[in-house]
Amino acid sequence: MTCDELIAHLSSYIDHEIDTELAAEVREHIAGCTNCRVVLDTTQRMIVLVHDEGQRAIPAGQRSALFERLQRTFLDQPPAPEADRSV
Amino acid sequence: MTMDDEATLIAGLRRRDQQAFAAFFERYADRVYRLAHGIVGNEADAEEVLQTTFISAFEAIDRFEQHARLGTWLYRIAYNHALMLLRKRRPVEPLPEDDGELPMPAALTDWTALPEERLLSREARDILRHAIAALPDGLREAFVCRDVEGLSTAECAQVIGISEGAVKVRLHRARLAMRERVSAYFGEWAAV
Repeated sequence: MTCDELIAHLSSYIDHEIDTELAAEVREHIAGCTNCRVVLDTTQRMIVLVHDEGQRAIPAGQRSALFERLQRTFLDQPPAPEADRSV
Repeated sequence: MTMDDEATLIAGLRRRDQQAFAAFFERYADRVYRLAHGIVGNEADAEEVLQTTFISAFEAIDRFEQHARLGTWLYRIAYNHALMLLRKRRPVEPLPEDDGELPMPAALTDWTALPEERLLSREARDILRHAIAALPDGLREAFVCRDVEGLSTAECAQVIGISEGAVKVRLHRARLAMRERVSAYFGEWAAV
């Protein structure tokens, strides 16, 4: 496997979406190629960091106001014509 | 009555049951907010998207068909509202080319051994946020959906309205671009 090929398969490898034979070739390549190992490791670390950073919630100060406002809008709507029928 | 299962929750929403609303808000408000924030990039617009999404959902819940999952359906509404708002804010970007040549990685310093407190610092989080904001729209949408929000490829394909193959291609390009950008900063920290 060349470095170009490794980069092309990088994302699928991270997501375990390539077949075992190709995954073995990726592992064999990174065992002998420092640059590709760095690219793989830093990509995986970046994904974890981004996921953690992204776990934001509605700012506490806005939350109850949003809840109240949306609840009012919700309750102002007439029920669905067949709302009693179970889904 | 428990709102744990989806069918009960939907039936409650159709009856305009207050408890169903509370359960719906608890379950989805933060998730919708996060997805919206990832696309529009600021709190005020993310709140607006959350509101319009919920209002659209209340109006459409009577017609919701249960072959879709409620969460995926709601994300799709949120995604469309976020895009509409984004289009109002700035001109439409051309769709990403999915078949152009991939740029080869250039930032090759290993920064993964940097201490946790450095990588979780405010400065590091700003770098990550700016890197996400700087992605082209099409790549950012796939990246936010998959790697920030953690939805599956199939769910992201439904939410964005593209094929699973296209999600994978855009995600791949987005990850490479993100890695390059954050490595430019974190690599310098590691080199010191």
